[in-house]
Amino acid sequence: MSGHRIGVYVCNCGTNIAKTVKVDEVAEAMGKLDEVAIARSYKYMCSNPGQEMIVNDIKELKLDRVVVAACSPRMHEPTFRKALETAGLNPYFVEMANIREQCSWVHDDILEATEKAKALTHAAVARVAYNEPLEKRSVQMSPATLVLGGGIAGMTAALELADSDQTVYLIERKDVLGGNVARVDLTAPYLDSARDILSELITKTTRHSKINVMLGTELVHMGGFIGNFVCKVKDAEGDETELSVGSVVVCTGYKEFDASRIKQYGYGKFPDVITSFELETMIRKGRITKKDGTLPKYVSIIHCVGSRSEEFNTYCSRVCCMTALKYAHEIKSAIPSAYVDDLYIDMHAFGKGCEDFYRKSSEVKTMFLMYKKNSTPQVKLADPKKDDCSMLITVQEQLSGEEIEIPADLIVLMVGMEPREDSTDVAHLVNISRDKDGWFIESHPKLDPVATTTDGVFIAGACSSPKDIPDSVAQARAASARILARISMGEIWTDAVYAEIDEELCSGCRMCNDLCPYTAIEFDEEKKRSHVISAVCKACGACVAACPSGAIKARHFTDEQIYAQIEGVL
Amino acid sequence: MGFEPRIVGFLCNWCSYTGADLAGTSRVKYPHNIRIIRVMCTARIDPTFVLKAMADGADGVLICGCHPGDCHYVEGNFKAMRRYALLKRTLRDFGIDDSRVRLEWVSASEGVRFAEVVKDMTEKIRSLGPNKVKVELATDAVER
Repeated sequence: MSGHRIGVYVCNCGTNIAKTVKVDEVAEAMGKLDEVAIARSYKYMCSNPGQEMIVNDIKELKLDRVVVAACSPRMHEPTFRKALETAGLNPYFVEMANIREQCSWVHDDILEATEKAKALTHAAVARVAYNEPLEKRSVQMSPATLVLGGGIAGMTAALELADSDQTVYLIERKDVLGGNVARVDLTAPYLDSARDILSELITKTTRHSKINVMLGTELVHMGGFIGNFVCKVKDAEGDETELSVGSVVVCTGYKEFDASRIKQYGYGKFPDVITSFELETMIRKGRITKKDGTLPKYVSIIHCVGSRSEEFNTYCSRVCCMTALKYAHEIKSAIPSAYVDDLYIDMHAFGKGCEDFYRKSSEVKTMFLMYKKNSTPQVKLADPKKDDCSMLITVQEQLSGEEIEIPADLIVLMVGMEPREDSTDVAHLVNISRDKDGWFIESHPKLDPVATTTDGVFIAGACSSPKDIPDSVAQARAASARILARISMGEIWTDAVYAEIDEELCSGCRMCNDLCPYTAIEFDEEKKRSHVISAVCKACGACVAACPSGAIKARHFTDEQIYAQIEGVL
Repeated sequence: MGFEPRIVGFLCNWCSYTGADLAGTSRVKYPHNIRIIRVMCTARIDPTFVLKAMADGADGVLICGCHPGDCHYVEGNFKAMRRYALLKRTLRDFGIDDSRVRLEWVSASEGVRFAEVVKDMTEKIRSLGPNKVKVELATDAVER
């Protein structure tokens, strides 16, 4: 291999890399390698001046390959590919060395981290010499979209798309639209009626000529790729329908935490210990009572039921604090003589209008009692002869530092949010990942929150983490905007990475045919050779490693590229 | 200076490489000895990649993929698992301690687990001492 002119760019990432890796030393070492025409370090390679530096060098120094030693390729590879295109080079002629996520951020020793950064960058230099010019694939974008889930996020996404005159299939497992919001009376912090919000959405959705609402229906299979998914859905009678769509939005929501898992609260044992959703049902019916029909004198609201706990879910469910304050208002207005106690760990009033709402709740004479994380209050039955209440709650109260006992007739458990039981099945069906708690994972938590690792599949609402209504609606609209942008292109470009079979080398053994999980390999009976349908191939490379004749090439992950990398890191 | 093992990691793009990135964003520390090479799926890993790494002087090879049932490509990790079993046998035939090569499942959310795997593997390889294959290959070449 000879005659390449490689440019190496070592990013400081402010101090993120430069603090642990001697970036100038890495650049200097790379500058001494064969075929490296220039090696520089710079503050922020991804910034405009950083990219311009690469573009100018490509033009002035006639570079034909570029290595950027910086963050993970999952972060900025698209950025630098674009920079190469701007300079007139094939975008696949850039290689990234991950010296931030997999080096400077995980190591402390400057000498060792610098040596490792050199090895990783060296490997990228060795590999890039073998990078081939690849052409992206153009695929037609079907303008139809499948929305999974008919809650507030699903309906919002469907309407946004349909109002732009695009076809939407909205499938919902239950036989009604509305999701979890349909179980709520008023919403915090402005106390608007959830019913008003929903009924308008439901009417619009069901009447829209571009939305095909399919109730009692679930997804049973999804095949294809962005722009060209084929989804099989099944209704309650077991009839299957095939839908051709370009995009999928997953809005499958959450389920509430099962309060009976926390023994101390006696949920399921004491009739007047209820969940927040059970209180909502009472409020919607217009009467807050004990099981025996009488009015409660003492009402206690317990926060963080199943949330922010070492034993159950470590995360915060985000909506319960404000909902609890809403209950304080609702209980006080229904039963003005009632005493309301609010048992919390920390009051999370993070959203717009929430802090004001918290202050107002203090003014309606709610008694706020702080309990310690992981020290669960204990509920027991009161002594009917001695006490004027039916239950007693023992709390290690933090602000006073004392163990106190408070009276209760009705206890409301603020149950947290959990991923639905079927989230594993949904994840497998649409090929997306779940995090340690079971929530669907976004493509990037900050910069790409509604996309997933499967191109064309989006997530919105509480299926990816606990969310309130405004956030769910914003995500639904964001996903729709992403889809509409692609629909407006008509055809879109997808990654040029896929497998190719050299017919000269193929022996026609057909071993690869059955290995392919996507049946992307066809056998030509006349030629007695296999070939890959590139649009269907997803580039896993299973066939490449299996081919006994070495006839299959994984574009951008060739044996030569990986061998060069192995030599480079060692 | 003591023996510092050199470990080559082959990580699948979707779960394990992302998990390793998460270790970084969460600033979870682990030994510097691992050098990661990204592949789309563990099923892409040709056993010759591992043998080449060992022949070129790696003291250990770590293969990481999605947990069974979670593969981005449905069942690529099962293909890797079957090849791994054969690879282990081949290594033993070559006289290489097969514990120098390891297959682990690391999901995209298991940054901490990735760090633990690397830490544990580094210690195990450190106790095994350097891989002599490269030296032996060089001696063979000279003798021939």
